[in-house]
Amino acid sequence: MRNALLLTLSLTLAAPAFAADLTKEEMHKLLVELDDRQRNGGDYKALAYLEQKEKDKADVVRELMIFRRDSDDKLMLLFTKPKSEEGKGYLRLDKNLWSYDPGTGKWERATERERIGGTNSRRSDFDESRLAEEFEPKFEGEEKLGKFETVKLELKVKDGVDVAYPVVKLWIDKVNHNILKRQEFALSGRLMRTAYYPKWQKLFSESKKADVWFPGEMRFFDEVEKSNSTLVLMKTIDLSKLDQNMFTKAWLESKSR
Amino acid sequence: MDRVVLLVRIAIRNLLASPINLLIGGLILLGTMVFVLLGGMLDSLNQSMQKSVVGSLAGHLQIYSAKSKDELALFGQMGNFPELPAINDFPKIQEALSKVENVKVVVPMGISAAIITSGNIVDGTLEKLRNLYKARDGQPGDPKLEGVPREELALRIASEIAHVRQIIKVLRGDVEKAMADMMNAKSVEPRNIEALQRVEQDAFWADFEKDPYTNLEFLENRIAPIVTDTSLVFLRYVGTDLDKFQKSFDRMRIVKGSPVPQGQRGFLIADLMHEDQMKLKTARRLDKIKDARANGRLIATDDELKRFVKENTHQTRELVLQLDGIKTAALVKTLQDALPSKKDSIDALLSELLATTDENFDQRFTQFYELVVPQVQLYRVKVGDMLTIKAFTKSGYIQNVNVRVYGTFAFTGLEKSPLAGATSLMDLMSFRELFGYLTSDKAEELKEIQRNTGARTVSRENAEDELFGDGAEVIAEATPGIIDPDAALAGTGRKLREEDLIRRVYTQQQLDDGVVLHAAVMLEDPTRMDETIERITQVSNEQGLGIQVVSWQKASGLLGQIINVFRALLFVAVGIIFIAAMLIMYLSVLMATLQRTQMFGTMRAIGAQRGLILSMVLVESLVLGLLFGGLGMLAGAGAISLIATQGIAAPNDVMYFFFSGPRLIPQLSTWPLVVALVIILVVTVGSTLLPALMAMRVSPLRAMQADE
Repeated sequence: MRNALLLTLSLTLAAPAFAADLTKEEMHKLLVELDDRQRNGGDYKALAYLEQKEKDKADVVRELMIFRRDSDDKLMLLFTKPKSEEGKGYLRLDKNLWSYDPGTGKWERATERERIGGTNSRRSDFDESRLAEEFEPKFEGEEKLGKFETVKLELKVKDGVDVAYPVVKLWIDKVNHNILKRQEFALSGRLMRTAYYPKWQKLFSESKKADVWFPGEMRFFDEVEKSNSTLVLMKTIDLSKLDQNMFTKAWLESKSR
Repeated sequence: MDRVVLLVRIAIRNLLASPINLLIGGLILLGTMVFVLLGGMLDSLNQSMQKSVVGSLAGHLQIYSAKSKDELALFGQMGNFPELPAINDFPKIQEALSKVENVKVVVPMGISAAIITSGNIVDGTLEKLRNLYKARDGQPGDPKLEGVPREELALRIASEIAHVRQIIKVLRGDVEKAMADMMNAKSVEPRNIEALQRVEQDAFWADFEKDPYTNLEFLENRIAPIVTDTSLVFLRYVGTDLDKFQKSFDRMRIVKGSPVPQGQRGFLIADLMHEDQMKLKTARRLDKIKDARANGRLIATDDELKRFVKENTHQTRELVLQLDGIKTAALVKTLQDALPSKKDSIDALLSELLATTDENFDQRFTQFYELVVPQVQLYRVKVGDMLTIKAFTKSGYIQNVNVRVYGTFAFTGLEKSPLAGATSLMDLMSFRELFGYLTSDKAEELKEIQRNTGARTVSRENAEDELFGDGAEVIAEATPGIIDPDAALAGTGRKLREEDLIRRVYTQQQLDDGVVLHAAVMLEDPTRMDETIERITQVSNEQGLGIQVVSWQKASGLLGQIINVFRALLFVAVGIIFIAAMLIMYLSVLMATLQRTQMFGTMRAIGAQRGLILSMVLVESLVLGLLFGGLGMLAGAGAISLIATQGIAAPNDVMYFFFSGPRLIPQLSTWPLVVALVIILVVTVGSTLLPALMAMRVSPLRAMQADE
């Protein structure tokens, strides 16, 4: 009896996580939590490394800066390396995603399916997480991923929302609530991409007065061209305040002059 | 000789005696005529197609890397384009090939495809306005605006603002229509309606100048998305030494604009593509109606022309969106007077103008080009424009380049051919930039970035074990760092470098010394193609050039095989006719031999040798074959001459390429005559030999017994 009590108590303490079969409300709450952990509330700046490997082709290697202002819902990507890519960038304002090439001096509209820098990463991989806002969840059970116990959710995009992939499956660490694996599907049900998030880092944010979580490493495996894979590494994070007028076309253009 | 004459006379007498011989002769005549006629036409088709392929893109021979897994297919292979490894040492190849006898010139090439994207009409207008403000404020933007006086820039800004305000009026109408339609009401976002209401106010425009860039961004992000008709143009092009190309492909001529100056970067658009895909759709449809009417088609009876008229009357929006308020008012007045009409909306007047019939077409066509076209942009890309071309590089990432459009071009006789008119021309330097070939410097720079990062490689198969297995730690504390974009980007100067590239003149050595994907080889004497292929292969092997060489026919992929397919079909069809003739001939000669057993026996009894009997039967058949075969050849040759007086008109635009122009002029070829003669000999002798041997063996005794 004593052993049974101890077991119950230890399980309760060790797993604040999930009971089997999450309700809709619990799943929604979980998505809100996943989004909130990554949201800063203030400004966010990161230096990232991007690498794409393809069969019989030279590696695509880039360094880029990611600028986010979550309170205003704005995102900018600015490539800094190699020299031939310097000054190229993306700017998201509302639902418009623009790409800029200083070589041509032109802005072009891009879609959610745009391959960032020609790799298999998408705008949403660098942007603020909006799972609760964009998707409806469905419970799919529990699964073991390596040594981690995970809960598996299937998310379907809500009506009228434009995302790169309309169906997403998530494997979420039961204990720490980090997304460890993500699979993305086309509307036809075809698996398009598998992502792994093996490093989650946190940093205290003055503006949020709490920790901000971000995936320090993202690995994307192309499920259509099986030999292609993409790696994203966050090298440095900086939560200091950004220029007020930074998320404008004029600002990005000025960086190439 | 006397014996031969005798045998021929006997043969003619015997042939005329039996009506079945006429049937056999008729078949031989038909088969020979079809063979000579179609063989000649096929030969002419082959020569025409050779002229089209050789003269428009391929040259007589094409060379490409021996390492290529794909076969070169200049016109595509089942919708795909070959992936060709780069040829890195073109100067060495050029030098080696120029010493091969019969090689006239080697033209470097790289075939590829790209996309030209242009936003919708609002995006385009706002981009113009942004560039005008940048030019006014001394910022780099559109090079064409450099040096334009400030006063003129102010006038142009005012004109573009008037245009934007006119577009907003049109958009208001679109939104109201959508709102009225229950099915479309949901597609209009409330925030866009709010934005539209804001920019409709005079107050927005009164303050526009205070912060034009912020206001432009508001229009770009909130108003432009209301229009959804963004367009993409898929562009196939060949990067080449433009000067050498034009000199070597002598059917090429400039239609609009001028050639790219020697050694400079530039782009020439295939004229048919410029007309089909870059011209105002309404104008293009009017052009097509005009062409069709010139060929005898009528709007009243032709479904396609009726559809064109209907589309023109319904799709006036692309015209209206191009007009500002002042132009709209002026055009309303002009059209009211010209039509004449009492309608007062520009939409209604344009619809009335474009409601063409067979009776009013010529007048309306002239009115459209004289009254409407000067107020709008007729081509999306004009001669003199800077074109931004976007392509996937060899490494898979997207690269953009700016190239100036110097003109459009066509190949004489192939102006209407979609196959010849599908490929545009780009200078070699821009092509190399778009191709994204990694120089050793660039490759080293990438390796350096990789080394500094030190990322580990994880295979797909072991990813879950490696990343989440025992010992894996997922959570880590991060240390904040300082990121300074200005420090990372200092001293780029990329924009300036790009502008410099556009103006630079390259030497022939610079043009030759770089990566190419394939090259056209023009020959002095095209009839010696096979021996030249052998010689080039030999030189490549001896000097380690690492190239393979193919004829124009092979280089054109499936297209080049069409002639072989036609030729195979011809042989099958003619084969069937001749096999039928052979069978009938065999049976009839067999029957005739059996019927004449007594005659052969009697002849043998009175001293005829077996050889005479054999010769008699064989000569009968030969005379039959040669007589009717000869008549067939004459009929085939006559038919070719008759057709050649008028030629065969290309039934559609695609056939222009196969006919190498609007008409195919068939010519009599020697080989069908020779082959027909051989076939006739084989058929006649082959089908008669067995009955003739039977006749030869008839004994006089047996013949007499049969009589008793």
